[in-house]
Amino acid sequence: MYCKFSGYGWAALGAFALIVCGPARAQTRAPDEKPLAQPAIPPLTPPEGLPALIPLGEAAGAYALDLPDDVPNLLQGQPGMVAEGHRRFIEMNCAGCHGYDAAGAMGPNLTDKYWRYGGTPVQIFKSIYEGRPGGMPAWGGALPAQEIWKIVAFIESLGGTYPADFYHQARQGDHQGELTAPEVMPTISATAATSAQMPNRPAADLRK
Amino acid sequence: MQRTLPPTSIRCGEQSFSRAHPRRLFAAIVIVALIAAGGPGIARSAPSPASFQPTGATANFAPNDPPGEWRRQAHDYANTRYSTLDQITQENVGRLRVAWTFSDGTQYGHEGAPLVIGDTMYLVTPFPNIAYALDLSKPGSPIEWSFDPAPTPMAVGKVCCDAVLRGWAYADGKLIYNVLDGHTIALDAKTGKLVWRIKMSNVASGATMTMPVMVVGNKLFVGNSGGEMGVYGWIAALDVDTGKELWRAYSMGADDQVKIGPDFKPFYPWLRGKNLGVTTWPAGAWKHGGAAVWGWISYDPLLNMIYYGTSNPSPRVPSQRPGLNLWSSAVFARNADTGMAKWAFQFTPHDQWDYDATNENVLIDVPIGGKIHRALVQFNRNGFAYTLDRETGEVLVAKPFGNINWATGIDMKTGQPIINPDKRPKLGVEVPNICPTDIGVKDWQPSAFSPRTGLLYAGIFNICMDLTDHEQSYIAGTPYDGMEMKRHAGPGGNWGEFMAWDPVHGKKVWSIKEKFMTMSGALATATDLVFYGTVDGWFRAVNARTGAVLWSQKLGSGVISQPITYLGPDGRQYIAVASGVGGAAMVSAKMKGFPARGNTLYVFSIDGASLETSPGFKTTQSTAPATIPDSSNTSRQ
Repeated sequence: MYCKFSGYGWAALGAFALIVCGPARAQTRAPDEKPLAQPAIPPLTPPEGLPALIPLGEAAGAYALDLPDDVPNLLQGQPGMVAEGHRRFIEMNCAGCHGYDAAGAMGPNLTDKYWRYGGTPVQIFKSIYEGRPGGMPAWGGALPAQEIWKIVAFIESLGGTYPADFYHQARQGDHQGELTAPEVMPTISATAATSAQMPNRPAADLRK
Repeated sequence: MQRTLPPTSIRCGEQSFSRAHPRRLFAAIVIVALIAAGGPGIARSAPSPASFQPTGATANFAPNDPPGEWRRQAHDYANTRYSTLDQITQENVGRLRVAWTFSDGTQYGHEGAPLVIGDTMYLVTPFPNIAYALDLSKPGSPIEWSFDPAPTPMAVGKVCCDAVLRGWAYADGKLIYNVLDGHTIALDAKTGKLVWRIKMSNVASGATMTMPVMVVGNKLFVGNSGGEMGVYGWIAALDVDTGKELWRAYSMGADDQVKIGPDFKPFYPWLRGKNLGVTTWPAGAWKHGGAAVWGWISYDPLLNMIYYGTSNPSPRVPSQRPGLNLWSSAVFARNADTGMAKWAFQFTPHDQWDYDATNENVLIDVPIGGKIHRALVQFNRNGFAYTLDRETGEVLVAKPFGNINWATGIDMKTGQPIINPDKRPKLGVEVPNICPTDIGVKDWQPSAFSPRTGLLYAGIFNICMDLTDHEQSYIAGTPYDGMEMKRHAGPGGNWGEFMAWDPVHGKKVWSIKEKFMTMSGALATATDLVFYGTVDGWFRAVNARTGAVLWSQKLGSGVISQPITYLGPDGRQYIAVASGVGGAAMVSAKMKGFPARGNTLYVFSIDGASLETSPGFKTTQSTAPATIPDSSNTSRQ
C-alpha cells in the first residue's frame, strides 16, 4: 500500500513533500469537509544522502490548532476508516511506542480510561497533531488532518475514549456517567463570586 | 580512604589466586555440604560438593582499588564484580539484616550499582538522573549533597525499555554519568557542583544515553542507546578533566568512521574487507542501522584494549536490511588511546531477533588446549556463552547456556550460528515459539566471576516469543522496530534462573530456577558467597560451589540492579543493593505477583549492626534535603 521511494525518484519526493508537509501544516480541515484525495504515505527508507524525509520529532506544541472543543469524529465507527487508522497506527510507528495492542509500552496505554491530555475525539486529535511532552512527536506537520482523524477512529474503537460532548468533564478527570466531584464546578463559581466581594482581596487575583 | 583489611582477608594478586588456600577451600566445601543438606526448598541442580574442581580460570583485578571500596560499577577493569572482603561468611550470612535504607523518590527501573569512595556513597537515580552523595560516617548515612541535571521529559518517550541508567563513574574527584537526554556530565564529588556538561547526542532523533560511564585513567568511555529507534551507534572517549571528545568510533559506515585501519585484523575471513559497515547494508540503510553502545565496557591494561558490544541492527525487522549488517550485534576490541579497532566479531550475523551483543565482556584467563588464553566471556543474548581469545577474536568455546531453538549450534570454523530455518521471522505472519525472545537468554544484567572457583555467575531468562514482523518506515524520533511479540515462559514455566557457568568447558555447573525473571547483577566474594536478586523482590546469598541458597530477604520492589559490598568507616562489611523494578523486566509485568515499582537502596550487615546502634544519635545530621523529582516526569510507565 505504501510506496518504496526508490521506484518514484525525486519528482515523487517533491510531490510528496507538497501533499504531506505543505497543505497539512497550513490548514486544518474540519471533519465534515469532503476528504482529500488519498495522500501518499511516506516512503520506507530515505534515499542515500537525505535526512529523515518527514519533519517529525519537533518540540511538542510546535503547531497551534484551533478546533472547537466538542467536534465529533465523523469517521468514528466506520469500519473502513477504523481499519485504515489501524494501518496508519502501525505504519507511522505508533505501535512501536504504544504497543501493537495499543495497551502501552514505551508510550502510554490507549485502551484504558486514563487520558493525561484528555480522551475526547478533539483532545486525542490535538495530542497527535501538536505532540506532547514525554516524547510524543507533533504529527501535524506530516499527516493530513484526514489521516489523523482515521487514527482517532481506530483509537476510539479500542473502547477507552470519551464522547465529544464530555470535553470539560474529561478535563477534570471525571469518568463518563460517574462524576467523581460533581460539586466542583458550582463550588468554584460560588467561591469566585463570594471572594470577589471580600475586603482586601481584589477579584482579579482569583483569575490569575 | 584506604582501609585495612581484617587479617583473615585474602589479597588478590594476578593470576595465582585460585589455588591459594586449598585447606581453606576444603573446609568451605565440608561446611557447604552440611548446609546444602538442609537448604531451602528451591529447585536447583548442583554437583556433588566433594567433586568440585575449580576450572583454573583466573583474572587480573587491576586497577586493584582499595578492597573496602567499590569505585567502579564492575569493581575492576575486567568486569569481575569479585570482592576480597570476607567478614560475611558461609556461617554468618544467615544473620544478614537491614542496617539502613535510602529512598530516592523516582519510579523508573533502578539498574545501577552504588559507588563507595572513602566515606561517601554515590547514587544516581533513573530519569530524571538525580545524583546523591551519602555520608557513610554518620548514622543513617544522610545526604551530603544532591544534584538535579533537569533532563528534558521528551527523553522518557525516546527510550525503548524504561528511563533507566545502568551506572555511573568516579574519577579524579568527579562523579561522571550519562543523562537520559543525551548529555554526559561531571560533578565535583565533594560539593555536587557541575564541573562540565557535554551534549553527546540528539534526543529528538531517538538517541538517548543509559549506559554506565567507564573510566580508565584520564579517559572515560560513553556510548548511545536507541537500537529500537534507528540511531547511528557510536562509542566515544572523553577527557575526564574537561569532557573534551578525544575520539569517536561509529558502529557502521566507512572504515574511517568505524576507526578501522591497517591494524584491524578480525580472526575470521568473513569479517575482513573494505567498508563492510557500508557494503553489508542496502544503500544508505547503515545511517539508521542502530548498533548502539548501551552496555558494558571492559579494559585490559596489559594490552591497552577496551572491549564492548554493539546492539541489534535497525530496523529490528530483517527483511528491510538484507546483508550481514556489520557491525551490529558484534564485539569490538579497540586501542583505548586511539580508538582504532584491533578486531571485531559478530555473534549474530544479520540479526533477525533483536539479539544485541551489549552484554558485559568478562576478561579472564583460561586454560584451553594446553595453553592459557587471554580470553573474554560474553553471555550473548542469542543464548550462546562465548569464550573468545581477546587478543585475536577467535571463538574458543561457544555453548548454549539456556533454552534456545533459533540455532542448533555454532560452526567453530567460522564462529557463525547454524540457524534453524523454522525460526526465521516472516512479514505479517506469526512464527510461534521462538526461543529466546528479543531480550535473550540474558540481558545486560552483569555476571560475576570468582577466581576461587573459576566460574561465572549470572541471572538468566527462560522466555520465548511468538513473533510477527511488520514493515517499518524510518521516522526520526519514533521506533524503527516492527517486531510484534507475545512473550511467554519456555519449558518448565520458570521465567528466570541463576546459574554458575564453567567458561573453560562451556557447561552449566549448577542452577537455581526462579519463577520470576532474574535480572539483577551478581556479586561474588572471597568467602564463596554469590549474591543476586529476583524481579519479584527476593535478594539471595548462595554458595558459589553448590548453588545452595543460604539466605533470602524479600525487598520492597523487584531487584534489577547490581549488588555491591564495601567496608564502612566502622570497619564492618556491608552489602548494598537497590530495589526498584522496571527496565526490560516489565515484559513480565502481567504475571501474578509482579511487584510495584520502588526506589529503595537496602544496605545489609551482620545482625543489621551499623553506626546507628551506638547510643546517643537521635536526629539526622544531613547537610542537604532530598531533591524532589518532578512527579509529572515520573508518573509514566
